Amino acid sequence: MKKNNILEVKNGVFEITLTINGEKLVLSTKNGESLLDALRRWGLKGVKKGCDTGDCGSCTVIVNGTPVLGCLVPAVAAHDGDIITIEGLGTVQKPHPIQKAFVEAGAVQCGFCIPGMILSSKHLLDRMPNPSEAEIRKALDGNLCRCTGYVKQIEAVKMAAKRLR
Amino acid sequence: MTHIKYYAFPQTVNEALALLLNKKYKAMAVAGGTLVAKTLPDTVETYLDLKNLPIKGIKISGGNLIIGAGASFDEIDHSKLCRSWAGGVVSSAAAKCSSQLIRNMATIGGNVARPHSFNIFPVVLLGLDARVKVVSKAGAKTVDFAGLYAPGFGLKPGMECIITEIIIPAKTKKWRCEFIKLAKTESSWESYITLFFAAQKEGKTITQARVAVGALSPKPFRASAAEKAFLSGGAHNAATAFAMELDSARAGEYRSVAAANLLKRFIKGLV
Amino acid sequence: MNTKTLKVVNQPVAKMDALGLACGEPAFTDDVDLKGLLCGKILWSPHAHAEIKKIDVSEALKVPGVKAVLTYKDLPRVPHTTAGQGYPEPSPYDTYTLDNKVRFVGDRVAAVAAETPEAAHEALAKIKVEYKQLPAVFDTFEAMKDGAPAIHDEPDSKNIPDAKHNIAAKFDFEVRNGDWFKEADFVLEHSWKIPYLQHCAIEPHVTIASFDHFGRLVLRTSTQVPFHVRRIVAQALKIPVKKIRVIKPRIGGGFGSKQEVLLEDITAALALKTGRPVKIEYTRRETFVSSRTRHPSTVRMKAGVKKDGTITDAEMEITLNTGAYGSHALTVMMCSGSHTLPFYKVKNNIRFIGRSVYTNMPVAGAYRGYGATQGFFAWESLMDMMAEKIGMDPVEFRRMNYIRLGEGSPVFKAMGEGREGVEQVITSTGLLEAIDKGLAEIKWTQKTVKYRNQSGPIRRGLGMACMMQGSGIPEVDMAAATLKMNEDGSFNLLIGAADLGTGSDTILAQIAAEVLGIKTDDIIVYSSDTDVTPFDVGAYASSTTFISGGAVKKAAEKVREMIIEVAAKILDEKKENLRLEGGKAVSKNGASCSLSEVANTSLYYYDQHQITASASHFAHTSPPPFQANFVEVEVDTETGKVKILDYVSCVDCGTAINPQLAEGQNDGAVLNGISHTLSEEMEFSSNGTPLNASFRRYKIFSAADTPPVRTFIIPSWEPNGPFGAKSVSEIGINGPLPAVANAIYNACGVRLCDAPFTPEKVLAAIKKKD
Repeated sequence: MKKNNILEVKNGVFEITLTINGEKLVLSTKNGESLLDALRRWGLKGVKKGCDTGDCGSCTVIVNGTPVLGCLVPAVAAHDGDIITIEGLGTVQKPHPIQKAFVEAGAVQCGFCIPGMILSSKHLLDRMPNPSEAEIRKALDGNLCRCTGYVKQIEAVKMAAKRLR
Repeated sequence: MTHIKYYAFPQTVNEALALLLNKKYKAMAVAGGTLVAKTLPDTVETYLDLKNLPIKGIKISGGNLIIGAGASFDEIDHSKLCRSWAGGVVSSAAAKCSSQLIRNMATIGGNVARPHSFNIFPVVLLGLDARVKVVSKAGAKTVDFAGLYAPGFGLKPGMECIITEIIIPAKTKKWRCEFIKLAKTESSWESYITLFFAAQKEGKTITQARVAVGALSPKPFRASAAEKAFLSGGAHNAATAFAMELDSARAGEYRSVAAANLLKRFIKGLV
Repeated sequence: MNTKTLKVVNQPVAKMDALGLACGEPAFTDDVDLKGLLCGKILWSPHAHAEIKKIDVSEALKVPGVKAVLTYKDLPRVPHTTAGQGYPEPSPYDTYTLDNKVRFVGDRVAAVAAETPEAAHEALAKIKVEYKQLPAVFDTFEAMKDGAPAIHDEPDSKNIPDAKHNIAAKFDFEVRNGDWFKEADFVLEHSWKIPYLQHCAIEPHVTIASFDHFGRLVLRTSTQVPFHVRRIVAQALKIPVKKIRVIKPRIGGGFGSKQEVLLEDITAALALKTGRPVKIEYTRRETFVSSRTRHPSTVRMKAGVKKDGTITDAEMEITLNTGAYGSHALTVMMCSGSHTLPFYKVKNNIRFIGRSVYTNMPVAGAYRGYGATQGFFAWESLMDMMAEKIGMDPVEFRRMNYIRLGEGSPVFKAMGEGREGVEQVITSTGLLEAIDKGLAEIKWTQKTVKYRNQSGPIRRGLGMACMMQGSGIPEVDMAAATLKMNEDGSFNLLIGAADLGTGSDTILAQIAAEVLGIKTDDIIVYSSDTDVTPFDVGAYASSTTFISGGAVKKAAEKVREMIIEVAAKILDEKKENLRLEGGKAVSKNGASCSLSEVANTSLYYYDQHQITASASHFAHTSPPPFQANFVEVEVDTETGKVKILDYVSCVDCGTAINPQLAEGQNDGAVLNGISHTLSEEMEFSSNGTPLNASFRRYKIFSAADTPPVRTFIIPSWEPNGPFGAKSVSEIGINGPLPAVANAIYNACGVRLCDAPFTPEKVLAAIKKKD
């Protein structure tokens, strides 16, 4: 086993190197801490905890290009990883087109599921610039929302797809 | 998880195996980590993350469809090779796994490593006569999928061996297949029953028939009486035999009736 | 009146907090980092019914990092209700912050506060409790029998009508015009059931208790009712109201579950004990088990009908399971009748018999629909049954009988929320237009013909259901608003109304902007903070648009007068010749001055004063919104699977202040109802332990499960509402159960009366029919 392919816990803590929203960081994570809890502890509050069991998608973050459930990934497993959270996609001053589309389509009600849903949408549109409604529904089926009935969120993804093409 | 002392992410299968076999590490291999990541046994001290192993590819080799154990449900869902195999049943089964986020993370290897009622692939692989390549102390070997869960297998995947490949035999390429997850909703994790039906037709004759049942217990099974009746031709007889088999497997009335109806529908749809 | 002259109201203004939320701004309760924050956890009862004989916390206190362990011995014993309702609450006072008795699996036993979650968990495990298990009862009808275990046998609880028979609330009334069923050609009777259903707001309940620099308690909490929280926490912990500040930040959905003082009292108690900030956040499992649910119900209805379509008599008997505590027990039960029975004209006799019953089960509470969900499932199913019996088209039958403009009902007066109601007549309705629109959109006529002769295992069918709700609780709900003007002609709007994701901040700003002739983004909205914003009962009973909107409109009108007063001086013009438009005060002769000039004049130059006003609003009526729902289903008669192919929901909410947000409210309500109809149900073991308390096993609909849901807003003008508005938030949830049940019947001839309509139940019903 090569040394750099194994990390050892020291005083209950792993030291890891990772890139978050384009910034390379060295951070420590407690043994057993999920990526969700760690990201929130590091100040990225856009990552939400809705269930902590991998069933609601509020904690969606993009790791190495793929949206995953932050609550199921141990933070230590993000070592060497490239992470994008909602904060890395756009800001109120400079929103991403998908974020704008969600606002304009009226897709945001309580907003708790929205960061995860937008990241899932981004991944979909990155690989499928012109998705069908069925493909949108399938791509968003891991992000539960109780407010909207998904109607306007699907409109938002269609709107964003059109603008991004 | 708080008992973890090491987090390892080997780059090769041999590296991973060495770690697994080294008593010092008390390692457990984790693939997608969707079901087990939060429930690692307290005895495990090394989280052996298989994500970097070169076992993700999907290819055709020797006429067989080879799916790397590290391929995610999403990759299998979108794989052109899988979509063109046996009517795309492997892909459509992958797509029926609970949610996109789980499909992004969970792998076929992880899905078969530990038996669980609501796993998607076991019933499909059983019905497709799949074989599984595992690497252990004794080297690499290929076993029937059915053998993986048999008491005589003797190697716990993820603890004593690593699953590297799923081999779907060439003969199944043109089979007519259907995978059904009978559940309350499309994206339910739980299901009443999962069913895999397959038939090989030569002219008007059915030369191979498969009726596999999942979700009733962690290990899927083949309904042999139903398969026999299926081969001898009658949709009605096959359904009756299937209902009886399910009943004796304590599937209960609803599952037995609904599944038998679905088999009948599948067989009728073949003509 | 109509909406044509409106410039801001009735426009799809973007929801003001949407962009921040879409960018992940830290806006929710838990999105703050407080120094020295302790983690609070609660020990839950493993037993359905037990007395705590002994409780020993000494080992728990020894766990490093543990700062406090509270049991019933440490807190004042104050009977109260957790229901966030107007004072005095109509719910029984049967709850204690901590008690020496537990009444369901998941009831509070003790609470800890520790430096880390790990220490808190360890402490919970080290609390030694000796229980004396008591006989438990899980069924409402068993619980009412003589000799059933009395769940509230404590002497100090208040307002329980019959504790011996576990009756938490009861209400009966009758309108009698002759003998029962005398004129009826047919009498039909049936019962309908709804199971335990969870709200499933994606943000779990969370409260952070801390202290300001005066040592006052500050509760930052995920609530729909900040002012009720302040009052009830003060009551339960015996501290003065002035010592408490409640802040409602952004809320991640509520649907009624946050109309409840669920965590605030115990979090506050831990903070007071430790002198440190404390946070309690429910896990998803805790949210399922130990928050609130919809009241499971059995509704028996019996009605008489004449061959000509006249409904002669109607009797509704509702039995609600309120679980271990009677939160909203009386009011949900009464609303199941008061929102439904007046909907159709009943010629002779009307009777309502209502009981809310304690069981050793999770606690029910407010849930979007609030009783009308249970009532309309029965009433609208029975309407179809009656129509079939007399051979009348179900749409015609409804058209003939629904309550018309100018009509009232004896039920309005007889049944209020927890007390006598208020007489009212219908002052606006778009139901007829809603029905026509729905018929056209679903292609009712063509498809009815097409589906008449179907063969094969897959059958399609159509169903419909109509309904009404209310707009606030008349003569109970009150809201206030404050507006204050800034130098640049912008305004702060301070409201107690609790936006929990509904968009009420935005629509209330639209109302103010309309009055003041400005754009919505010139209104800076702050909701809600008991130190800063005026009183509002909170976000429930479909009240915010109607009641809070009324307050905002009044406050804005007062401010408009003040502006015109100043502008009249600036422009040397008579007040009556001035109006506000486009950010200016404009005179009839064309002269104008900007609002910023008005503001600067008032603040710095002339008769210096702050242009500001507050206003309150309450109402003598609760104008119902109306709705017509249409659904097309496909039933696989060999597997029992029901697939919704199309769902059309036409809603008359008066003027939609913001049509886009109103549609969104309805879309979400409808899907929640569809999910109830086809999937959701909490399951329990025989000893009352919840079995599926997770999103994995309690399945709410995902985007992939969701059928096409199409909302159409049908405009009407409600004279008592702000700019003609009524409510919209709740009504949509009540449609799917009866509409889908009617459609399944239409498709394959079986009537489902026991929600949810799972494949298993549908197939069993089909088999029974054959």
